[in-house]
Amino acid sequence: MDIVLSQISKSYHSRPVLEDLNLEVSPGEFHVLLGPSGGGKTTLVSIIAGLTKPDMGSVLIRGRDVSRLPPGKRETGLVFQDSTLFPHLDVFDNIAYGLRVRKHGKAKIAQKLKSYLEKTGLEKEQHKFPHQLSGGQKQRVALLRTLVTEPEILLLDEPMSSLDALTKEQMGRELETIQQETGITMVYVTHNQEEAFTLGDRVSVLHDGKIEQIESPEELFYHPKTEFVARFVGIKNILKGYVTATSRDEAEVKVENKGLHKPFKLRVKKYPLLEKGTKIDFCIHPDKISLQKENAHDGMLPNRLPGKILHLTNHGFTVKATVEIGGALWYATLPQNHPDFKAREKIWACFSLDAPHPLCGRNFRAPDGCRRCQQ
Amino acid sequence: MRNLLFNLMISLLSGIFICLILFPLFALFTATSWNELAGHFKSPLIISAVIISLQTSLTVVLAALVLGVPVAYLLAMKNFPGKEILDTLVDLPICMPPLVSGLGLLILLGGESKFGAFLSNRGVDLIFSKPGIIMAQLFVAGPFLIKSARQAFEAINENITKASSSLGASEFHTFRKVLLPLARNGIYAGMVMTWARALGEFGATSMVAGCIPGRTETMTLAIFGHAMSGEVGSSIAIALLLIVFSFTSLLVFKSRIRKQISHA
Repeated sequence: MDIVLSQISKSYHSRPVLEDLNLEVSPGEFHVLLGPSGGGKTTLVSIIAGLTKPDMGSVLIRGRDVSRLPPGKRETGLVFQDSTLFPHLDVFDNIAYGLRVRKHGKAKIAQKLKSYLEKTGLEKEQHKFPHQLSGGQKQRVALLRTLVTEPEILLLDEPMSSLDALTKEQMGRELETIQQETGITMVYVTHNQEEAFTLGDRVSVLHDGKIEQIESPEELFYHPKTEFVARFVGIKNILKGYVTATSRDEAEVKVENKGLHKPFKLRVKKYPLLEKGTKIDFCIHPDKISLQKENAHDGMLPNRLPGKILHLTNHGFTVKATVEIGGALWYATLPQNHPDFKAREKIWACFSLDAPHPLCGRNFRAPDGCRRCQQ
Repeated sequence: MRNLLFNLMISLLSGIFICLILFPLFALFTATSWNELAGHFKSPLIISAVIISLQTSLTVVLAALVLGVPVAYLLAMKNFPGKEILDTLVDLPICMPPLVSGLGLLILLGGESKFGAFLSNRGVDLIFSKPGIIMAQLFVAGPFLIKSARQAFEAINENITKASSSLGASEFHTFRKVLLPLARNGIYAGMVMTWARALGEFGATSMVAGCIPGRTETMTLAIFGHAMSGEVGSSIAIALLLIVFSFTSLLVFKSRIRKQISHA
C-alpha cells in the first residue's frame, strides 16, 4: 500500500474532527475523499502531508512510518484549494521554489523547468506574476510547482473548486494524463460528487470525521450503504419502514416515513437480512423510478404508487421530476424521450423489486437488469 | 436629497478635523520669517539637536527592526500559553503616559537600582546619555513596528506558509523567502511610524536623558527648552524641521506603497 492511515483521531478545541479513521490507498490509485464542508477532509490530507499532527494514530507512506516526520521529509506534494502561489515570485520562481529548497543547481533547475513548462504550455507565462494569471493558470502552476519536486504521493485539496466548468474539465483531463504517465498515487479532496465520480478509482465518503463508505464510483452511486451516503450522492428517495412478510424471492415492507398521509406497502427483493419485523431504510435511485400516465394499466408491475408531478426540470439528456406521493416528495430521473408529462399531472410511480436498495451499512449488489418497469 | 445632506455633513465634519490639523501648522509657518529661520538653522545647538535626534531615532528604528520583527512573528504565527499577556504587554507602552515609561526606565537604569548599579560598575551609564535616549525612544516607539509587522504577517494566507512547508522548506526558509518579502510593506510602515514616534518623543526621553544641550538634547527637548527660556524663534525653527521631516517621510512612504499596490 502507498498510504496506510491507522486509527487517526484529531480534535480542535475538544471538538472531534477525525475519529479513529483507517484508510489504505494502493499504489497508482486515484483516491477521492468526498464529503461535505467540515467533514474533516482537509484535516486528513493535512495529516498525510505532515502539516497537521494527529492526536492519535499513525501515517505510513510506502511502508515507512512518517508520523513524526516534517512535511519536507514525507515525499508528498500538496496542491491547495485556493491559489497559494507566492505572490512576490513569478511563475518560474514559484515552480523552482521546491527545487531550490532541495538545493538543486541553477542549470538543473532551468533544464527541468524548461521541459515541464513546454509540456504544459506555460512557457509564455513563466515571467508573469500570479496576479497576472487566470484562475486555471494559477492552479496549473501550483500543480506544476508540486510535480517538479517529484513526490511519491500527490495530495490535492479541492484544487478545482474555484474554477469554471470548462477549466475544471480541462484540468481533470490533465490530472488523469499525469496519473497515467507517471503512475503517481493521488489523493483528491472534494465536496463535489460529480468530480469524485469522474476522477476517482475509489471514493471514500467522509462524514463527521469517519469514513462512511469506501467504494468505486459506480458502486457508491448505485449501492450506498448509509442514508448519508445516499443523500450525498444525490439519492433523495429514502424510505423508512419494517418488514411485514417474506417469501423466498421477495419481502413486503411497510413504509412509515414522517410526513406520509398514511403508511404504504412495497415489495422488495429478499435480501438475507430481511426477516419479518426487521426495521430497515431503503433508498431508490431516481433513475430506477418510472412514471406512467394515470390511465395506464400494467398488472405486471411489482410496485405502483399513485402520485402527482410537482415540477419538471430539463437537464439536457434527462428530465428531473419531483413527484408527490402520499404526502412525501419523490424524485425521478426520466429519459428525454419519455411520454410528455406536465406539472400537476396525476401519474403512477413504479419500480422493480430490486430498485429499493437497503441502507444497512453493508453491501448489497442489486442485479443490473430489470431497473425499470415496462411502459 | 438625503444623499446630499449626508455628503454635506461628512464634508463639514471632515473640514473641521482638517482645520484642527492645518491651523496650528499654519500658525507655526507664519510665526516667523524665512530669514529669521535661516539664522536659527545655523545655530550650533539646533544643528546638534537635529543630529542627536536623527542618530537616536534611526538607531531606534534599526533596533526595533531587529527586536520587533521576531516578536511580531511570534505573536502572529505561533500559539503558546501566555500569548494574550505578551500581546497586551507589547501594546502597553502605546497606552502608558511617556512620563511613566520614563520614570520606570529612570528607576531601572539609575544607580540606585541593582540593574543600574550592575551596569554602572561595568562602566555603562545609560542615564543622561545617548544610549539612554535610544532606550527611552525604543520603549515608547518600538510597539508601533511590532503592531504593524504583526498585522502584515497575519494578513498572509495561512496556506501560503503551508505550501512552502509542503514543498520542503524549513520554518526559517519560509520566514526568509516568503513571509518577510510578503510582510515587507507592513514592516516598512512600522519603521516609518516608529521613526516618527521616536523623533517626536519627549516625555520618556526627558526623564531618562535630561536636557543637556549638545549631549542629550533632542529636537523635542530643544523645542521645550528654548520655548521655556523665551527663545520662541528657535523653538519654531526646530518644530518646522520636525514637521517637514515627518510629512516628507510619510508622503514618500505612502506614494511608494500606492505605486506598489497599483503595480500589483
